[in-house]
Amino acid sequence: MKWEVFRQEKKKDYHTHVGSVHAPDAEMAKQYAQIMHARRKPANSLWVVPKEEIAEVHADDAGVEMGGTTQKEYRWATNYNTNESFAEEIEASQREQEQAEEDLAEADR
Amino acid sequence: MDLDTVKERAGPREFGPADEMPREYREAATRMIQFHANSEIMGAYIERPFIRQAPSLDRKLAVSAQVQDEVGHGQLLYRAAEELGIKTREEMLDELASGEGKFLNCFHYPLDDWYELPMIMFFVDGAAMRRQATLKRTSWEPYAHAIDKICFEEGFHIKHGEDILRTIATGSRRDRQRLQEAFEKWWPRILQFFGPTDDDSTHGGFAMDVGLKTMSNDDLRNAFLNAYVPKAEKYGLELPEYPRVEYHEDDDYYEVYEEDLDWDEFFTVAKNEHPTGAGQIDKRRRTQAAVEWVRDAIESPDSTGISPAAADD
Repeated sequence: MKWEVFRQEKKKDYHTHVGSVHAPDAEMAKQYAQIMHARRKPANSLWVVPKEEIAEVHADDAGVEMGGTTQKEYRWATNYNTNESFAEEIEASQREQEQAEEDLAEADR
Repeated sequence: MDLDTVKERAGPREFGPADEMPREYREAATRMIQFHANSEIMGAYIERPFIRQAPSLDRKLAVSAQVQDEVGHGQLLYRAAEELGIKTREEMLDELASGEGKFLNCFHYPLDDWYELPMIMFFVDGAAMRRQATLKRTSWEPYAHAIDKICFEEGFHIKHGEDILRTIATGSRRDRQRLQEAFEKWWPRILQFFGPTDDDSTHGGFAMDVGLKTMSNDDLRNAFLNAYVPKAEKYGLELPEYPRVEYHEDDDYYEVYEEDLDWDEFFTVAKNEHPTGAGQIDKRRRTQAAVEWVRDAIESPDSTGISPAAADD
């Protein structure tokens, strides 16, 4: 049985997918996950999830449009040229959106 | 975990579903997050009529995107609240429909026209954003995760709100006059957004002690006024004489004369007993009932005898 492994590096981090292990049950999966994915690299917590329980939708699937593949400038803070620097929380939100736009452009290339 | 340990350990993103939290913590967090989730849903209902009333296609697309975002924020928050094990999402939605669920004062007043929209989209959303940014440091980790995504999206809402405000403020004299009228009508409600002074706040102390809240209502109100009063002035809006708001330059502090504000109305609103608020709750109840069949079909797709189809098929 295959288990997908999600590692949280430090307390308060998000868990991110790091790989998978073969194991007959959750107890063994946790053991293997520790050895495979948390022996050298720092880890605060691991999740193991049966692979068959994970359902996926892919950007290439027919009829699927994810992550801004359609033209929707109106959805971005960067589309409005008002001054965002009057409040740091607005500025932070705009920086995150700029980063997301860059990531999208990068993914397109 | 006992309450003393919670208070001792309280810090940003400190507690999650794996921790055994005392009932007092779970109840206080549920109350706070449910209020926030309800407010996102009811905020969407305030803005929704302007999808139809938008003066241009660009505005229509952007307003509908905002409404969609806000309903999504409600869903994220109900999930974060559910993790506390006090109430299910269905219970919270039913409480909202029955008039038991509480939500922000400003969303108890429907908007009369387009001139009033930036009062919500810029000032009220701006106040909410100011508060939400401090909640990235809340002690309930699932709440902080929901806030991460909310803050990512909210920058667009407020900038779009400001863009609408600027368009009207640079319009005809009649436009500017109607904008000023809208501002005077909404300004007292906006000042009450952060509630009464801390002394009168029932739950603030505990929420601060256990790290659910990280900034007092007074400090939040002041931080908001510091950023948004200059914005109002920039767009030619004049602060009405009453309620009095006085800036003390030495302390960089805005004093709001609380006695100039209508707290009877505020507390009637807070109890869901204000007539316009009851009307908004009715709208929500009717919508929830109207789409009951959708939820039924999702829960038991075989029972209806029809297979789900995409709307654009």
